[in-house]
Amino acid sequence: MSIQSRGTKGFAFLFAVALIFGFSSWAGAAQINIGALNDMTGATSDVGKDYALGIAEAFHYINDTGGINGKQIKLYQFDYGYRIPEALTKYKLFKRLKCVAIQGWGTGDTEALAPTVAKDQIPYVSASYSGHLTNPEKTPYNLFISADYSTQSRGLITAWYDNKWPKKADYGKRKPRIAMCYMFASPFSSASIKAAKDQAEMLGFEIGDDQDVSLFAIDTKSQILALKEFKPDVVLHTNTVMSVAATLRDAYSLGLGADHIIKNWGFDENLPKLAGEAAEGAMGCAPWAFFGEDVPMMDKVVEYAKKYNPGVPLEKRTIHTVQAWANVLGMAEALKRADAAGDLSGPSILKNGFETMRDFTIGLGVAPITFTSEDHRALSIARVYEYTQGEFKLLDTVDLQKRWPEKYAKEWIGW
Amino acid sequence: MSTTWLPCGKYHETYAQDHAWWQTTFIRGKMIALFAVLFVGIPLLADDYGLSICNNVGYTVLGALGVQLLIGYCGQITLGHAAFLAVGAYTSTLMILEFPWPQALLDWGLAYPISILVAAVVAGIWSVFFGLPSAKVKGFYLILTTMAAQFITVDFIITQYVSQIGGRGQAFSLPVGTIKVGPWVIDSDLKVYFMMLVLSILLIAVLVNLLRSRVGRAWVAIRDNDISASVMGINVFGYKLLAFFVAGFIGGIAGAFWISNLAAISPEHFPWSWSLWLVGVILIGGVGSIHGTVFGSIFMVVVIEALQLVIMQFVDTSWGSRLFMDFLFVKEAAFGLVICAFMIFEPNGIAYRWWQAKNYFNLWPFSY
Repeated sequence: MSIQSRGTKGFAFLFAVALIFGFSSWAGAAQINIGALNDMTGATSDVGKDYALGIAEAFHYINDTGGINGKQIKLYQFDYGYRIPEALTKYKLFKRLKCVAIQGWGTGDTEALAPTVAKDQIPYVSASYSGHLTNPEKTPYNLFISADYSTQSRGLITAWYDNKWPKKADYGKRKPRIAMCYMFASPFSSASIKAAKDQAEMLGFEIGDDQDVSLFAIDTKSQILALKEFKPDVVLHTNTVMSVAATLRDAYSLGLGADHIIKNWGFDENLPKLAGEAAEGAMGCAPWAFFGEDVPMMDKVVEYAKKYNPGVPLEKRTIHTVQAWANVLGMAEALKRADAAGDLSGPSILKNGFETMRDFTIGLGVAPITFTSEDHRALSIARVYEYTQGEFKLLDTVDLQKRWPEKYAKEWIGW
Repeated sequence: MSTTWLPCGKYHETYAQDHAWWQTTFIRGKMIALFAVLFVGIPLLADDYGLSICNNVGYTVLGALGVQLLIGYCGQITLGHAAFLAVGAYTSTLMILEFPWPQALLDWGLAYPISILVAAVVAGIWSVFFGLPSAKVKGFYLILTTMAAQFITVDFIITQYVSQIGGRGQAFSLPVGTIKVGPWVIDSDLKVYFMMLVLSILLIAVLVNLLRSRVGRAWVAIRDNDISASVMGINVFGYKLLAFFVAGFIGGIAGAFWISNLAAISPEHFPWSWSLWLVGVILIGGVGSIHGTVFGSIFMVVVIEALQLVIMQFVDTSWGSRLFMDFLFVKEAAFGLVICAFMIFEPNGIAYRWWQAKNYFNLWPFSY
């Protein structure tokens, strides 16, 4: 038998198995199907893999602790490699599998899918925390258990302005200067830039030219040299951790002399490992506790990490696992409430589930979450940490709703 | 390779017969059956997921046709084709969102079809611009100049300037109802499927006809030996630019079609890796074969889906979840391996196998 014919037969076998199993209906009697779309091999896999592990572990925990009022969850988890065409196809597969809700991932595909999700009325809990997804009038079925990127960026700028700027030599003599580093082409990276600039203008910053830093960047010297002409006091980073670390390293070696404030996906346990000394003093937003921190529910996170992925050492696990748990626990609570109301349809999960949560606490260091039918911003609080002397220390907590109630309620939703 | 061997005892007597699309009754029957499957069978049997896979295949076919023309028929290696898809997608989107259409055209559902045509022409002209270096360079050097198309078009012009039009930032969103062809609002997978099917068939027919003409023969002559082609009196540079125009034109249509499936676009949807992917499609399908473009597209899309569905069955087992995690990385490597394997064991791609199988049955029982 030739190699080709063996290969053909092997492929035919695999395809036949796929046809037999894949194209059949999966809905079981006491089973709730959930889809999960993750990036474990694509552009955002540096943070996506840990998140994906967390999703699977958290659903194991839900099932081990009684499921959804006795019903077990069947999780269909896929890696789509951050390829948006593949994300669309997988979404259709979730519909076929009768998934009642979906755990999604990136901003690009989540925003692209938002109109479809709204039409199909399937709650879509994403790891994209884009502010564009928080207005129920536009994206009624998009949700997440986190401070959105815009809230994070506003909180970071405010925390730096409150805590760091007064200590600078030029304080009171001139306006503080801010610049922003992100991948222009990425909806994820650029999602909160408009809000960040709005906040900076409101606080009286001078804003420098944006710097285009790829999510894959390993050398950002040209961007740092461009920044040096502007002499920023602080730089906002909205990329994922690898490119943020590269930027911090170059800023350090070229003596930029600015502080760094970083959106959640660029601020994790890997940052000091990748950036070394350059990470000292970096500030970042973390709506959840770091992996292993002493907060409620963290013991379960660690236990399930050990139990289901023993091959991944605990010291390599990150805050992204905790993020995944937060999204899963929030979704599970919504499912329980909808199930108790006797209806596990998409609209019921939204109305009887998520939108009934008022100051609901899931643990994991997450502030109490609230969803209403008018506002899908779960948190108005940005928890800002500082990495100093080898530790992540909570620096400040900025509650935008308390500080700017009018603007938060009326102006800042949805962008 | 594209020659069809006729059954024993059948001979062509005219040039028209020799160049006919469907040369025998059996082939005509086969094609009618194929059209029946495409236009009736799949829409009836496939659900949204199945249609979504078909639409992905169609998008890949539309994208890869231009690459096939450039590499497979004209010998101009390109690694920047995603840029022309992006030009098409953005031109069409901007026209729909920003152009002051007369109400009558909107009512008749002509805005989107017209935008597709304009997108195709703009992408074609843009492609010609990046084909200009082909007058002086070829091979690896041409690869680099076509790669520049990606960086200049997507990473610079579209990202920095075009995306900012209308203050939308990075993602253009097309409101429901704006993608309309005649009386049909393209708002479901089925409608996207039919549109994909019509566009694919139309473009394949146009391209095949073009390849059978003097233009096509000139392209093939340039591919085989550009110096000989020049000696024969072929305007090598002119025909190369024409190839770039047609490839860009088709790419523009592909991009403009794709927005009907997405309803939103951003520069992120047209990464450089997609250009590489399209080259992989024609390498696996068969370089210099329109069949190969279709087979390669089916292979690249369906195999990934099939493998994931297979793996999905075992995720609940203790070894299965581990397999799932490991498989992710194997999957990426597997694609590289598949391309290598095709280069080594079947350099003519799947299309060659199809040709062998077809002729086996055409010549049966004397297919030795």
